[in-house]
Amino acid sequence: MLLQLNNIFKWVNSGGQRVFLLKDINLTVEEGEFISVMGPSGSGKSTLLNVIGMLDNFDEGKYCFMDEPVHTLKEKHRANLYKQYIGFVFQSYHLLDDLTVQENLEMPLLYKKVRNSERKSLVADTLDRFNLVGKKDLFPTQLSGGQQQLVGVARALISSPKLILADEPTGNLNSKQGEEIMELFKQLNEDGVTIIQVTHSEKNATFGSRIINLLDGRKL
Amino acid sequence: MFKNHVKIAWRSLKRQPFFTFLNTIGLAIGMAGGLLISLYIYDEVNFDTMFKDAERIYRIDADIKFGGTESKSAEVSAPMAAAMERDFSQVELTTRFRDLGSMLLRKSNAEANVKEQGSTFVDATFFEMFGLDLLEGDVRTALKEPNTLVLTRTAALKHFGLKDALGQKLLLNNTDTYTVTGVIEDMSKRSFLRNHNVFMSMAGSEEAKNQEWTSHNFFTFIKLNPESDIADFQEPLQSMLGTYIMPYVQTFLPGATEEQLVASGNYLNFSTTPLKDIHLYSDRDYELSQNSSIQNVYILSFIGLFLIILASVNFMNLSTAQSLKRAKEVGIRKTLGSDKSALIRQFLTESGLISFISLLFALGLAALATPYFNALSGKSISIPFTDPFFWTALLFGAAVLAFLSGMYPAFFMSRFVPVKVLKGAGSTSTGGGNIRSFLVVFQFAISVFLIVSTLVVFMQLKFIQSKDLGFTKDQVLIVEDVYTLGEKTTAFKEEVAKLGQVENATLSSFLPTPSSRSNTSFFKEGGATAENSINMQIWNIDHNYIPTLNMEIIEGRNFDSQFATDSTAMLINESAAAILGVQPEEALGMRIIRNFENGTSNYFTIIGVVKNFNYESLRENIGALSMTLGRSTGALAVKLEAGDFMNAITSIEGIWSKVAPGQPFSYRFMEDSFNTTYKAEQQLGSIFMTFTLLSILIACLGLFGLAAFNAQKRTKEIGIRKVLGASVGQITYRLTTDFLKMVGIAIAVALPIGWYLMNRWLEDFTYRMEISWWVLATAALIALTIAILTVSYQSIKAAIVNPVKSLRTE
Repeated sequence: MLLQLNNIFKWVNSGGQRVFLLKDINLTVEEGEFISVMGPSGSGKSTLLNVIGMLDNFDEGKYCFMDEPVHTLKEKHRANLYKQYIGFVFQSYHLLDDLTVQENLEMPLLYKKVRNSERKSLVADTLDRFNLVGKKDLFPTQLSGGQQQLVGVARALISSPKLILADEPTGNLNSKQGEEIMELFKQLNEDGVTIIQVTHSEKNATFGSRIINLLDGRKL
Repeated sequence: MFKNHVKIAWRSLKRQPFFTFLNTIGLAIGMAGGLLISLYIYDEVNFDTMFKDAERIYRIDADIKFGGTESKSAEVSAPMAAAMERDFSQVELTTRFRDLGSMLLRKSNAEANVKEQGSTFVDATFFEMFGLDLLEGDVRTALKEPNTLVLTRTAALKHFGLKDALGQKLLLNNTDTYTVTGVIEDMSKRSFLRNHNVFMSMAGSEEAKNQEWTSHNFFTFIKLNPESDIADFQEPLQSMLGTYIMPYVQTFLPGATEEQLVASGNYLNFSTTPLKDIHLYSDRDYELSQNSSIQNVYILSFIGLFLIILASVNFMNLSTAQSLKRAKEVGIRKTLGSDKSALIRQFLTESGLISFISLLFALGLAALATPYFNALSGKSISIPFTDPFFWTALLFGAAVLAFLSGMYPAFFMSRFVPVKVLKGAGSTSTGGGNIRSFLVVFQFAISVFLIVSTLVVFMQLKFIQSKDLGFTKDQVLIVEDVYTLGEKTTAFKEEVAKLGQVENATLSSFLPTPSSRSNTSFFKEGGATAENSINMQIWNIDHNYIPTLNMEIIEGRNFDSQFATDSTAMLINESAAAILGVQPEEALGMRIIRNFENGTSNYFTIIGVVKNFNYESLRENIGALSMTLGRSTGALAVKLEAGDFMNAITSIEGIWSKVAPGQPFSYRFMEDSFNTTYKAEQQLGSIFMTFTLLSILIACLGLFGLAAFNAQKRTKEIGIRKVLGASVGQITYRLTTDFLKMVGIAIAVALPIGWYLMNRWLEDFTYRMEISWWVLATAALIALTIAILTVSYQSIKAAIVNPVKSLRTE
């Protein structure tokens, strides 16, 4: 078992009323799963993903990640946890515009305080693996959307995370580029990486092994 | 990691050249200003520190009130020095200066005189007192003998050359021959003797040997014993009043006692000023060199501090304003595992980098501006590029500045929560608006305050220059050193008066511009008692004096050559009448007595009262003054008709060289001497103006950047408004008024403070202007106009963008 959510509630107070973003979510994710989270806009997909990624807090419930009780951990400890085990992929890529492809890939390793020589070899391996060697000195704005997302995925993978969280990773891509990224995900999953993706697309959802449907913060 | 920080910082600065430019240039200007002011202050507070034992050297001062006149003297009587050295074990050494001002020198074989500024009699202890050595000559014997003198290197080179000067003879003022016994290094620009070039032996001066305890003409310095405390010296010093001065006073005021003196409201209080404090803390009636004041140092420190704060505020403002763009980066970095402290370090690296670049620019700017600043402040400052202390201080200062101004943006931006800032592309409001508004208000408040100050300083100067002084200073030419003509002075005056362009001419050493003059004691008729005594200046003038300077006689008449009795007649001013205790018309016919030491007396009859005229600086009240007919040949004042002055001057010079071949002809306009009196204020005004301009410039850079940011942030709002039918004008108005509100608040805060502080400054002047409402209104208007011009450019630019374009970015 990689992670487990028990009775997770998250709400905001709006106009004196409690509006639930997540309502009584229970979810167990085993290592090696490929889960697609679906649902209409505002159903809480991204919120759920952020809670799992520990970027966002929840108000009630229990969350265990690799047997660590996340809900009792301090901010700093939690940051160490996700730094270690989780990689993020975003819809709008979120690469650092000031850094080259190579430097963007290096960034997570810097924060993990990986030694210089090891860093260099990891970056070189990754560039090789994702066929980015020829583009390593380009800046993100010099790449196409598909290529940028490829860098995004590569960056998420470079520190060998156990879990990849992808928030509509193909949302800004055309269908061909989107398909390539999904193929990549499938490949990675087969290599043993656990993936949770948020998607609107029925077709993309079929790449996964399990589909979770959300509506108004509730799991259907 | 650090390398990475620098790399990122450098790239993000390069990516936003506009903001980087605003930031750098603002900081550089602030730093350059701060740097120059720091050097100025360093110079000011280090006066007279180069002298050996400077901390043990004190000048003896005297506060005197006698005969209705008060004075604050930096000089004491001739016999004081010897008496102190004899009576008090605390006093190790004394040295007196008797300042002579300018002097005419002539080499024994030369025809013509050369004018030399800054000559003084000085005791032979001079060298030991100040720890000075001679370049040429023997320091132990120089100035011991009468009629010997020591020249500074500059003066020696001017007359003889360094090696040849010793033993040369010089004729002084056409009367006495002196022998050069030494050459000394030029006096430091930072010393109270900086303007002195000729040091003459006191041994030959009769005045220095006299025992007139009430005649204060000698700057007297003491060196205290290393074991003694100056605080313990005050009492013995004051005891000299009883020991020496009262017995002397009794010789002309029989029966006078110290108690009587005090009871009648008179006093003679001695005090001491440490040598090192003279430049900044001493402001007495007459000083050896013009001093500065600690007040100016404070004012400048504040201005310097303001500038740096302004620049630093700019930095904070522009950095937080850019946070919108940086928010995404913060979010990404945090999801990639960065913690807060790593982000703070990164942002501080960035501000450090900007600071460092700005520092380089600032050094360049400061170096370029140094000549201008020196002209402005009357100093000769240079940037000490070779001084390691300077570099240490500079880098330390820049680091502190970078830290202080980078701290807020760093904390502000590192707090961003990734979920929020990553949600949408740019639609996030990043906050910090209140603090930015506060900072803009703060900046503009300082600028408005400086505008008010500048206006007031310049208007006060204008006020002084246009004030009715009681005489006309315009078109009055002063021919100097007329005494060198000897017997021919009168002939010279008459020749000049005959010239077509000359309205009138008068011969007198006493001109109504500030100068060292002392009071003389007179008595009303009815006995030499303390109650009857009057202290006033006595000026020797001729018949033409009053008309030449266009003074007004309000009662009685001017001297008239038809009355032989006018040789004992006297004119007084209104202040003198007031001390006599009579109305001007009652003063006519009163008799005034002057007693001499040898027992003889002179009687004067008052024949006229002159309307008060300002003969000292307008900072002072008009003191009591009397004028009698007498030969006084210091200068010839010539009233010219309007027209080509050069023509008249050439004619006068022609007469001069005919009457006195070989004598240097020197002249000045009275207007100019008048203006030199207010040099300090002129300088202050110019300094204020310069730094006001700089601070406004910095504030505008900041405002410009903020307006650009604001327009950018509201692109979507502007687009929507335009789609809904808003006109360009309406949108411009909307964007501009937000900023004007802040400037309005700044004005409301700064005007009362400026009004209050500048009134305090004006209190130094006896004659001062009122700060009227429109001065404040003008300052407000200037600030508003500048703000509107700065902001509206960005507002209009944003308002004319096609809405389709601005909405598509969403």
